[in-house]
Order: sequence, then C-alpha cells, then structure tokens
Amino acid sequence: MQAFIIRRILALIPTLIFTSVIVFASIRMIPGDVIDLMLAQNDISTGNDRAVIEASLGLDKPIYVQYFVWVGNILQGDLGRSLWQNTPVTEQLAATLPITFELGFLALIVALSVAIPIGIYSAMAQDTAGDYLARSFSLLMLAVPSFWLGTLVMVFPSVWWRWAPPLQYTPFLEDPLGNLGHMMVPSILLGLSLSAVTMRMTRTMMLEVLRQDYIRTARAKGLSENIVVMRHALRNCLIPVVTLIGLQAPLLIGGAVILEQIFVVPGMGLLLLEAVFQRDYPVVTGVFLVVGIAILLINLFVDLTYGFLDPKVRH
Amino acid sequence: MRLFCLVFVVVGTVVGLSANNVSAETPEYGGDLNIGTVNVTLSPLSWDPADWTWKSNHDAGGQREQLFAGDLDKSVRKGGIYPFISDAYLPTESIRGELAESWVWEGDLTLVISLRRNAMFTDRPGVMKARLLEAQDVVFSYDLVDQSPKRIPTYFDHIKKVYARDKHTVVFEFSEFNAEWMYRFGYGYYSSISPRELGNVDRKDWRNTSGTGPFILEKYVQANAHIYRRNDNYWDKETIDGQQYPIPFVNKVIYRIIKDEATYLTALRTGQLDILEAMRWIAVDHLKETTPELKWNRWLATQGTFMALRVDQKPFDDIRVRRALNLAINQKEIAELFYGGYAELMAYPQHPGFGEYFEPLEEMPQEVQELFTYNPEKARALLKDAGVPEGFTFDVQVCSCSPSNMDMIPLLESYLQKVGISIKIKPMEYASFLSAMTTKTHGPGYLLNSGHVNPITTLRKSFVTGQTWNPSQYSSEHYDEQIRLVHLERDEKKRIVMLRELTRLILAEAPYIWLPTAYNHTAWWPWVKNYGGELRVGAVRPGPIYGRIWIDEKLKAELGFD
Amino acid sequence: MSETALPLLPQRRPFVFFHQRLFREKPLGAIGGVVFVVFLFCGIFADVLAPFGMNETDMLRRLQSPSWAHWFGTDHIGRDVLSRILYGAQLSVIVGFMAAGLATVISIVLGVVCGYFGGAIDMAIQRFVDAWMTFPDLVLLIVVISIVGPGVPQIVIILGCLYGIAGSRIIRGSVIGIRENMYTHAAQSIGASTPHILTFHILPNVMPVVIVLFTTRVGAVILAEAGLSFLGLGIPPPSPTWGSMLSGTGRTYMYLGPWLALAPGLCLTVVVYAINIYGDALRDLLDPRMRGR
Repeated sequence: MQAFIIRRILALIPTLIFTSVIVFASIRMIPGDVIDLMLAQNDISTGNDRAVIEASLGLDKPIYVQYFVWVGNILQGDLGRSLWQNTPVTEQLAATLPITFELGFLALIVALSVAIPIGIYSAMAQDTAGDYLARSFSLLMLAVPSFWLGTLVMVFPSVWWRWAPPLQYTPFLEDPLGNLGHMMVPSILLGLSLSAVTMRMTRTMMLEVLRQDYIRTARAKGLSENIVVMRHALRNCLIPVVTLIGLQAPLLIGGAVILEQIFVVPGMGLLLLEAVFQRDYPVVTGVFLVVGIAILLINLFVDLTYGFLDPKVRH
Repeated sequence: MRLFCLVFVVVGTVVGLSANNVSAETPEYGGDLNIGTVNVTLSPLSWDPADWTWKSNHDAGGQREQLFAGDLDKSVRKGGIYPFISDAYLPTESIRGELAESWVWEGDLTLVISLRRNAMFTDRPGVMKARLLEAQDVVFSYDLVDQSPKRIPTYFDHIKKVYARDKHTVVFEFSEFNAEWMYRFGYGYYSSISPRELGNVDRKDWRNTSGTGPFILEKYVQANAHIYRRNDNYWDKETIDGQQYPIPFVNKVIYRIIKDEATYLTALRTGQLDILEAMRWIAVDHLKETTPELKWNRWLATQGTFMALRVDQKPFDDIRVRRALNLAINQKEIAELFYGGYAELMAYPQHPGFGEYFEPLEEMPQEVQELFTYNPEKARALLKDAGVPEGFTFDVQVCSCSPSNMDMIPLLESYLQKVGISIKIKPMEYASFLSAMTTKTHGPGYLLNSGHVNPITTLRKSFVTGQTWNPSQYSSEHYDEQIRLVHLERDEKKRIVMLRELTRLILAEAPYIWLPTAYNHTAWWPWVKNYGGELRVGAVRPGPIYGRIWIDEKLKAELGFD
Repeated sequence: MSETALPLLPQRRPFVFFHQRLFREKPLGAIGGVVFVVFLFCGIFADVLAPFGMNETDMLRRLQSPSWAHWFGTDHIGRDVLSRILYGAQLSVIVGFMAAGLATVISIVLGVVCGYFGGAIDMAIQRFVDAWMTFPDLVLLIVVISIVGPGVPQIVIILGCLYGIAGSRIIRGSVIGIRENMYTHAAQSIGASTPHILTFHILPNVMPVVIVLFTTRVGAVILAEAGLSFLGLGIPPPSPTWGSMLSGTGRTYMYLGPWLALAPGLCLTVVVYAINIYGDALRDLLDPRMRGR
C-alpha cells in the first residue's frame, strides 16, 4: 500500500511537467499577445517601444528560456507576478482559492445529500412511481442550464419581492452570515446540477450490485434488507460514485465560472477567465499549476479509496 | 444653430431633473455609496499612471486629481448648461482649475500655472506621510508619463520642458502651440498628479496609490469591488443653496464590478446599487414599471458604432462599393426599431455634445445625407457598376464582449443579403478582436465601437494614416495635413470650421458603414442627493462628482432599504 | 456457440422484439425515445418544416408574442422563433450526437484497455488522462476555441475529446470491477483469448454504463455549447443553437419577450430529459442479468 502511494506521488511529476508545458505554450498561442493588448490601451501604438515593454516583462527571451525561468522560480516558491498589476500570483491565489474551495465544498455537500439518498431509494424502489419521480427530478436538474436557472433565481425574486441574494463577497471570518448568504444560492445551484449525474450513477451501480451473487447470498442468509444494502451494496457501488466525485473536482473550478459570473463570486474560475482574456500568462500558468496539483491529489485520493472500498481491487 | 445644438444636448440628455435640488435641503454626512459605473463590467487594468491605460482616471476613483476639471457648479442640475456626459471632452467655458488655482501665458509658448496652496497628499503607509502639494510633484507626474516606454509617441511633442519655478508654480514651455493642450496634460487621460514619492515604490500595487483627491483607495478585491474611504482633509468645498460644506459627504464609495447585465440590473432594483450609470434601453421600460422610485437620465452614448471596411482591399477600395453598402443598410429602421427609438441616426464622428463642432444631418450636403437613407435598388446598381458579383462574400469580425453588436450583426447580414452580398460572422473575444486590428489582420469588415473622445481626436485617431484605431486603413495626404493644421490653430472658431469640413469629407468617403448611435440610461435611487446623472468631469473621471453626493438615510429607510 | 457467452438478444427479429419490450415494460423510456426521434426528425427536415428562413428578418414584425402566424413569436429582429428552433434542432442535436459519439468511442477504448490490462499500459495512459483532467473543462475550451476559432467541427472535436478522456475513468472503474468477477475468471481459466474475453465478457457487461454515459454526454454537449455561448464562444451567429438563443437574446430580452427564452429553454430541457430517460430504459433492458427473469 505504501509503495503504491509513493509510486503514485512520483508519477505526479511527469504529469505535472507535461501539463505545465502544454499550458505554458498554449496560452501564448492564442491570437493577440499581451503587448498588443497593453499598447492598444492607447490611441496610437505604432512606433511604441514594444521591445522595452517586452524586456521589462521578461517576454523578450525565447519561450523555452522563459519556461525554465518560470520553473526555477516555482521551485523557490515564486509563481511569478501578474503582467498587468504586478501582484504576486501566490497572493491572487491565496485570495481566490478559499472562495472557490468554499463554493465547491458547499456544492458538494448539497450534491451528495441530494444524490445519494435519492439514488439508493430509486434503486431499491425500481420502476415504482417514486423511482420515476426521483429520476425525473434529477434529470430536470441535469437538463436545465445552470446559467438559466441562476438568472431566473436571481431575477424573479427581485421583480416580485425586491429581494436578491447579496451580490458582493464578504470573507467568512469577517461576516459569516453575509458570506453564507452570498454563497448560498450559487452553491445550491451548483450542487443540484452535480447531484444529477451522481444520483444516476449511484442508482445504476446500486442496481448492478444488488443483483450480485454475494448480495443474494447475504439475503439467503436471512440478513435484513438494510444491513444487506448498507454493508455490501453501498460499499461496492460507491466506487464509480467516488470516481465521479473525483471527476467533478475540476468542474467545481472550471464549471463554476458561469455561476461565479452571475452571482459575483470572485473565485478562481473568474480569475482564470479574466487572466486568459487579458493574456496574463503568469497568472494562467500559476493557477493551472495549483489547480493541477489539487486535482491530481484528489484523483490519488480517489484511487486509494478504491482500494479501501473493494478488497478485490487492492494492489 | 449653435443654440439649437446646445438645447438639443440639454433636452436630449437630461430627463427627470431632480426637483429636490430646488428646495432647501441640508446635506448629511455618512453612509456608503454603491456605484455600478459606466465600466461596471470591467476590472481595473493597472494602478500605475505610467502604464498609459485609458481607464486610469476612472479606477483612481477620486483619489488622484488633475490640473483642470469640469466645473460642477455649471452643471445643468445647478442651473447651468453642461451635462458633463462626454467621455473626454470639456467645453472650454465649463473648465475650472482643480489643482491649478490660476494660469497665465507668458508669451506665445510659455504657460505658467499657480497651484493651490491647500491641496494635501494623504498619509499612505509605506509611501509617504501627509503633506502639501508642490510644483515638483506636477513635474514628477509629467515625467512619469512622458518617459514611460508605453507612451503614445507624439503625445507630448508640443511640450519642450516642464519645471518648477518655485514651490507653487509650474512652468510648461511649449515647442509649438497645440489646440489640445488643456486636454493632453490637463483634464485628459494621462494627466493625473501623483506625489513624487511614487518614484520609489511599486506603483502597480493598489496599496501604493496616492493623491490629493476626496477619496482614498482602501481595498481592492479582484473581480468584485474597489472600496474608497473619505479623505478627511480634502481641500475642496461644495456650495449648496449658498452654504459651503466640506466634502466628501459619504464615508465610502464602492465601485462594484459586476460582469453580467441581468445581475447588475437586479442589484439596482434591490437597492444594492445606489447608482447604475449605464444601461441599455431594453430593460428601461420594465425597470420604470417595477421600480417607479428611480430617477433617470438619458444620454447619447459617447461612442460611435460602425462597420469598418478595409479600403486597402478590393473591392472596398472603390467608393461606389462603400457607398452602396451604406445604402443597403436601413439605419432608420435600426434607430427606430432595433434600438426601440432610443438612438440617433447620425452622431459620429462628431457628437452632439460637442456643441458647435457638431453639424446635424439635415444640414449636411446631399451626398452625406444619402448615406443614411435606405435604397437597396441604388445599392445594387452601384455594386453592379463597380463590378462586384452577386453572392460576393466577406468576413466580418465582431467582439463577443459587446452584446449589442452581437445582437445587431445578424440584422446587418440580412440587409446585405437583400442586395446580394453575404457576410461570414466571426465573433472574437476582446483581446483577440483588438489584436486583429493592431496587427492589421482584421477585416475586410470589422464591427467596432469607438469613443468620440473630443472633436479633434475623433477625426485623428480613426482616419489619419497608420493610427491604431483606424481599422479601415483610410489614408489621405490631404486629410492628414488638415489634421496637422487643426492642431496648430489657436482660433477656436477657425478650428470649428476646419473640423466641420473634415467631418463632411470623411462621412461622404464612407470608409465605414455608418450606424446609429444608441442612447444609454443612468438610474439612481432618490436617496442619492446632489446628483443629476453627471458622468465625467475629465477624461473618464467621475471622482469629483462622487465627492459631492450625499445620502439621505432617512429617505432610504422610508423606502424600505436599510 | 460457447456456453459462457450469453447472447444479448434473441436471434430472430431482435430490433422489433426489443422495442416491443421497451414499450411494454418501460413506457416512460419509450416516450423519451419517441420524443427524441421526433426532434431528430425535425432537425433533419428543418428546411422543409420551417415556415420561415433561419435568418429571415423583418423589423416590423419584431418581438411579437406567440400567435397563429408565429407559433413561438418573433425575436428582436423579427425572425420567426419556431423556424429558428427547428434549425436549432439540426445543430444542437446533431452536434450533441457527434460529439457524444466521439466521446464514447474514446472512453471505451481507453477505459477497456486500461481497466483490463492494467500494469504499465494502465499507468502510462492514466498519467496522460490525469494530465488532461487537470484542465478545468471550460477554461480549456476557452483557450482552444480562442486559438482555433468557434465553429461546429472545432466544438465537436474538442468536446468529444474532453468528455471522452474524462469518461474513460468511469469505464475503467467499471471494467476493473468486472475483471474480477466470476465469469471472467472462468473464461480465463478455460483459455479463452483476450479479444474473445473483451468482446463477450467485458464489453457486454460494460454496455449499461456506456449507454448511460452516452446519453448523459449528449445532454452535456448541448449544455456545454450553451455555456460557451454564454461566454461568447459558441457557434457564431446567425446559427440558432438553442444554447445561444437561451443565453443571448433569451436573457437580454426576457423583460420584453419571455417566449424568446421559454421556447429554446423548453426544447433544450425536453430533449435532454427525453434522451436520458430513453438511455435509462435501454440500460435496464440491455443488462444481461435482467433478462430471463
């Protein structure tokens, strides 16, 4: 087990390198580089000292040199500085990461508390009206685009009752109620849309597992339905569900961009989006790196959970 | 005609004059002002004046001041004639000295400015202790922008030398006269006055911004808000009903950054925004219905919309083709129906707010007026004459950052189809879109919004050879020479004549498909007092306006908002 | 015929028999299937069915509420919304199908290979999958579409790859579970070849997961395109994808014309819902362990 963990952590390194090279190169491939954008802030830019600006930002060196400079800095804990505001990327991440984490965490709680009970119920009451109802609800959550639901949830109460959720972020430690009030609606919406896929997977896996031989054996042994379900079925069907949760981690960062925009949540999704639109290379590569590490660690955790949940799979 | 234009401006832009300002009301101190500014969807790009970003004055939010600014005592709200809407133009008579107490010309080319004695830079931890403004600070601020690698190359060519004669006197020695001198380093985009201590710190850090203005930047949360607190030692005063009051009145000004239209409209409707400076016409009627308490101001957008045509590419080098495309578009329908009547047929390149510089369409020569009529048959005939085949197709880029243009372009496609022309619509996000223009890989069609700025710049930046914001690549020696001469002309009346002539010329040349200019609306809650919808008193500079606003907390509570 | 290979369907007229079962045992799923086929049909024959053109503007007719002349009303520049919905079906559904199809193929190949063979191959491919999955979906889409420009083929390929590679992990997880069950061990012990095992043991047992995955992917692709439209990177105008109709004019003009959002929103919801219900029913019927009860 320990060897497995160490091997997996070591395997992260080539993955990270591979990722970082791709990200580093691709952001620079988007038409319109940052110098063009900076110079276009003026009336005229012909004849401007483009070379001087490039040099001051370190962008005049060949790309592979820039890459190694960046890697060298990372190893010293320096993720670079924003090209526009000179803010250290680590500072921007420290500001936005907790917000995204909070949004994702709350959404995950919502998703799991909705999805797993409904999924289990649906599987055990297969093909009854209750099953159809539960499945219909979860499919509805899947089918309605999050931005549309978000818009409706925000606009209609404001028109009918002059009420809207707070649209400005306050840190949790400063004002817990204000913070939760602000995050509540987007995290519920995000959680509901995540719950749909999880619920269906739970149901599918539960159905498969409920028919497995060892369940029949347990039933034949006269164990009550609940114990059968809890101990045997749940454990095994959680494998793909846990995989799914792992899968949805990047969704919580990237997929939340739309909800972040609508509900004014200054998370990493918006940070990344703005940085891409402004061609702020260090911010983009820095965020991808941190996000990448986080997701890879989550996947590692997911794989380890496999081992715990299904003894047959343990290496 | 002059009177007509000014009346036009007043009537066209001021709706819903605040009746409260007539009665005697004592301003109160305190409260927070939440504003969705004209740039509510944009984050600040840079805090450093040396970066030459156009948004710098807006972002500095009343922390930095300039030598000259608009005089709000002459605003319409106070019985004057100036609405203070233009993004970067101030009529000469509307200007007052802000940090410049007085100024004289010593000879033709030497300007001597006496600075205010009581303007103070605030305490800024890590940067400076509070102290009085000195002439050396003005010199420093000028050098900061003049020596920046990001400067516009010819911008300050008219200035030979800037130096401090003594602690309170700054001298500008000109190499030649420039008609835009008051704008370029005065009330313009790149004219803010910073303390010389900024030479020693990281100017890009928002914590180091410093100035003499009514507010101090307290906090910046990216993609969320900038928060300014009041400067308790601000030098200026506001006169209300004959009484003088120290300003600012409010404790905090919060610029909210909200990218989504539905969201900022909701924020306004639920009182989370006290002022929303710019919204499209589409939501206006509904808002007036559901939120009748709001006060309104309607103003003509300070940017033109047009489809630029690459005149350096066939077949757009042929003026017949360009004129034909203008005839093929039904601008009247766009103004009356697409914009719901909230638009002017022709308000670009000159803006009606520019007073005498603007010549209305009815007074333009026939060849210009014709371009704004709808005549698909004549368009077809012209195209045939010019040898353009049926089914000719060309690419048109549009910025996905402009919802209005994205909504309009299928309509333009449909009009052009009716004269046998097809377009391929290519949406691009902002940076790619902009860079296509700066690298000249754009076109042949390019649907763009471009700010008017002021009467001279609007013609220079868009049509002089080689300028970045000249997307059609229009180039004419005669035109370039005329623009050069306009800058040297000291007599404003003569400049007006020259610019009118050039405007007529360029309109008739049709390097663009000219499109109507829309009206925007500003809305605010009635508890926002001493405010009438003014937007700028310098190039994109709202600070002094916010410094004079006070909040009627009692009224706010009465209306059900705490 | 080997005893261990369980045939999926009876040998005679399997298609008809299967659909008889569908209607009899899974009525909701059948309705879903019918609805989906109707939309597919509308999409393919949109040119014939649509009363007006896709971009036929008429400013005098703009923003009219639903009427006999225009069943779904008209939009902000006078185009018939029903016609645009029909043309949108063409785009939204077909893009969804193609991208989901590509994604499913990729998922199966990667998932089965990794899950069954394990070892070094699994390690190597999973590292690649890991690297791929560290990119948040939407931002990856933004970067790629900014580079190649928006358009139907680009969106199909990039969404197909995105969902395909990510989905392979689910297939892999399922294959790992199946690999260890009794039937597979039995087959291996009698010396059945690898392709045989993959085709007759792994694949059939993975099918239910694949079907559910495919159906969710179609819906997800349609929704992803809607999300891209919201950010301004969807299929360019005047293409009437339901996503862009909903996120663009639907939201902007919701005060002046609620039908502008209602029509594409309902269609989107109904189609995604229908295909998912249908997929569920298929899964239930195709599950080898559910036959012969």
